[in-house]
Amino acid sequence: MTIVSRPWQRLSPAGRVLLPLAAVAGGLGVVFLGGVSSGILPNLWSWVYEALNDNVPLLRFIVAATAVLLFTVPTAFVIIFLEMKVIALQNLRLGPNRQGPWGVLASTLHGFKVLAKEDFTPTGADVPVFTLAPVVVYLASVMSFLVIPFAPGLFAQDMNLALLYFFAVGGLGVVGLMMAGWSSFNKYSLLGALRAAAQIISYEIPLTLSVVGVILLAGTLSLNTIVHQQAGTFLDWYVFRQPLAFVIFFIAATAEGNRTPFDLTEADSEIVAGFATEYSGMRFGFFFFAEYVNVFILSALTVTLFLGGWNAPLDLTPVWQALGAHPGAIDLSGLGVGLLIAVLVVPPILTVLLALPFWMLFTRLRFWQALVIGFLCFNALAGAAVLIWAAFSFDAVMGLLWFLGKTYVFVVIFVWMRATLPRVRIDQLMGFAWKWLLPASLANLFVTALAILIIAQVRG
Amino acid sequence: MTSPETKVRSLDDPSVFVDTPATIYDAIPPYPPRTEREAEFYTLREGEMLINIGPQHPSTHGVLRVVLKIDGERIVDLDPVLGYLHRGVEKICENSDWHMVISHCDPLEYIASMFSEYVPVLAAEKLLDVTVPRRAEYIRVLACELNRISSHALFMGWLALDLGGITPILYGFLERDEIVEMLAALTGQRLLFNYMRIGGVNGDLNHEFMSRLGDWMSHALRHIEDSMTLINSNEIFVGRTRGLGRIDRQTALRMCLSGPPLRATGIPYDVRRAHPYSVYPELEFEIPTREEGDSYARYLLHLDEIKQSIHIIDQVLHRLPDGPVMAKLPRLLRPRPGRAWAAIESPRGQYGVYAMSDGTDQPFRLRIHDPSFFNLQAVGLLTPGHLIADIMAIMASLDPIMGGVDK
Repeated sequence: MTIVSRPWQRLSPAGRVLLPLAAVAGGLGVVFLGGVSSGILPNLWSWVYEALNDNVPLLRFIVAATAVLLFTVPTAFVIIFLEMKVIALQNLRLGPNRQGPWGVLASTLHGFKVLAKEDFTPTGADVPVFTLAPVVVYLASVMSFLVIPFAPGLFAQDMNLALLYFFAVGGLGVVGLMMAGWSSFNKYSLLGALRAAAQIISYEIPLTLSVVGVILLAGTLSLNTIVHQQAGTFLDWYVFRQPLAFVIFFIAATAEGNRTPFDLTEADSEIVAGFATEYSGMRFGFFFFAEYVNVFILSALTVTLFLGGWNAPLDLTPVWQALGAHPGAIDLSGLGVGLLIAVLVVPPILTVLLALPFWMLFTRLRFWQALVIGFLCFNALAGAAVLIWAAFSFDAVMGLLWFLGKTYVFVVIFVWMRATLPRVRIDQLMGFAWKWLLPASLANLFVTALAILIIAQVRG
Repeated sequence: MTSPETKVRSLDDPSVFVDTPATIYDAIPPYPPRTEREAEFYTLREGEMLINIGPQHPSTHGVLRVVLKIDGERIVDLDPVLGYLHRGVEKICENSDWHMVISHCDPLEYIASMFSEYVPVLAAEKLLDVTVPRRAEYIRVLACELNRISSHALFMGWLALDLGGITPILYGFLERDEIVEMLAALTGQRLLFNYMRIGGVNGDLNHEFMSRLGDWMSHALRHIEDSMTLINSNEIFVGRTRGLGRIDRQTALRMCLSGPPLRATGIPYDVRRAHPYSVYPELEFEIPTREEGDSYARYLLHLDEIKQSIHIIDQVLHRLPDGPVMAKLPRLLRPRPGRAWAAIESPRGQYGVYAMSDGTDQPFRLRIHDPSFFNLQAVGLLTPGHLIADIMAIMASLDPIMGGVDK
């Protein structure tokens, strides 16, 4: 191997990246030329193209699910950073301020930290269950993401049973918590898991019952339709027709997401860290992520059900039109599958192209540094392009902005409550669910149904 | 009884032999029961389990270990295991001269160490028949009351922290930090002041201390009241502490409680009034009491005591006489042979020292009566029947400092 390894060792780091790339490119070029000359490649290409075009819904679902899965990670990072910073401000502290400007990289570095930590499995743990539990918890959160409508046309899957699906999948999370608590071989974990089971199952009932009023009004379980029915001004939002349901839903959602004041499952002053006591490294990271993804999802669902989803509080279309923008100015859907391929191919090529001038002009820059700069430039360019594009098709982007804005208001409220409130006791928690929330949500359901009946009678 | 050959060393303690090899499935403790009480406690009935709170646990305020016997969430019984912080301070004091006793006693009540160094000094002064200069007495009162406020401010944050509120402790620490900084300007230390001296104090008031004190006094009460409104009438906080850990007067007296836990039951026993020392008879202050005797009453009582302490500091600043801060004393102190009992009102209750002198420069015996130890005993009386979450609320409201409990 000397004949290969010596020249290899003489190469600069940049060469060690470029040479294999050149080799791969050369190999691909040979294959490509051979394929084209023999006629295999055009046939293969047309077959792939047709297969993709025939299965656009499936393709769309796979892409959307992947995008949603990838979306959870920055969301969790943002919310973790937000929580650190907002709680710090409420505590009259500075909070993270060393990692990047205003400490924005703090949560990302936390993510890398948990990746680098030892993944410890305690003696006596039920290893397969112990390993699977974080995955179950995290996936249960991520799967709930699938049905949330972010903007008009921007949703992973439009199910007509979206709400039912949401509660069903959300209920899976507690299975993961029970698995974690049971398999850890730790009494704190067990107590935390049992608390989680009791709490989440109890609060799921008022949570679901409070939504039934909205379902009666909307006449559907599809979240997209529910959002569409709240179009108009902010007075059309369901929060004004179902104020009690909104309050019940938000309280129950807090308990569902294990957030203060209902964070008994991980009450650090009582049972150390609850079900997560024995977890470390990225397994703990998954629990941590799942909690913050849950916060986002519950806020998003609150917004979707009660605050009009991606609807603007007032109809601003005349304003945009006066400014010269109108929906559908650029229609990228004409590109078809080509759009997907462009999304895959364009970023790396543009990154390298933008990195090259920096590499050539500044001799002190290492190649990877130039690549980072190129990547940042590409992102800036892409961001600018997206903004320009958004200026011409406000519908989706403005919808997304409204949706995220409203959702993050609720995220901040969750954080605010965490900084302000002490924790309730388990018997108070259960008593509150069964003695107050459940009757109130039943009364709300009864009154809503009665009102709908009466209005239907009056209107004939 | 099997012979030692058939026994194996316990994993937990290699000096102990047990019948079966200890596994991770074994109950604690791994050794056979030593007393009837231990045998009864470590025998589990249907549905019960043991859970270990401490010695390293977020809310045991130091290294207290409590073995809880629980049935679901409900505490059936508990077994406190003390001594994780035992350093033998009383014995160390017997081998050090009277001056060194001050710094040995300093870390006993490490949240308010001005008090734990004051008591042995007071005992030594009784044995030596020293008259402390009046300015020194006033400075002592000033420093002690400041330290009492810093301790109480921290207590209120701690109680909220153990109930799950994360913000009040930082508000408490804000006040504590200001006080600790000014005491550092006075004494040179933030935590273990080592300021009291037999016959006076280590140094006179300085400009930095006085200016910091003036700044702080101008907003102290308002800030403390402001930050405590966060939890004072919080529905969850009140719901979790009101009626919890209720002690009646007879029990409180029988359990030798003192300080806020005793005064919360309505008994106005305060050493500053009951057995006056220093210049407290000249100062005007009330002894706040509450009737309920529960955790919430103890919490509110601390707030009332902070107000009284600020009132005392106000008077001290107005009456502070001129003069020396140390009595004239020989370098080598040889108290008369005899016994002395000195007690003061620390933030946690009656802090006493019973000192015996044999005429040498070292105490023959120095017995420390720490209020935390007696207040902590009430946990065993109050918690059975409550939930796991309640033991934290009860323990935090009794405010033990393990440095003083384990000595």
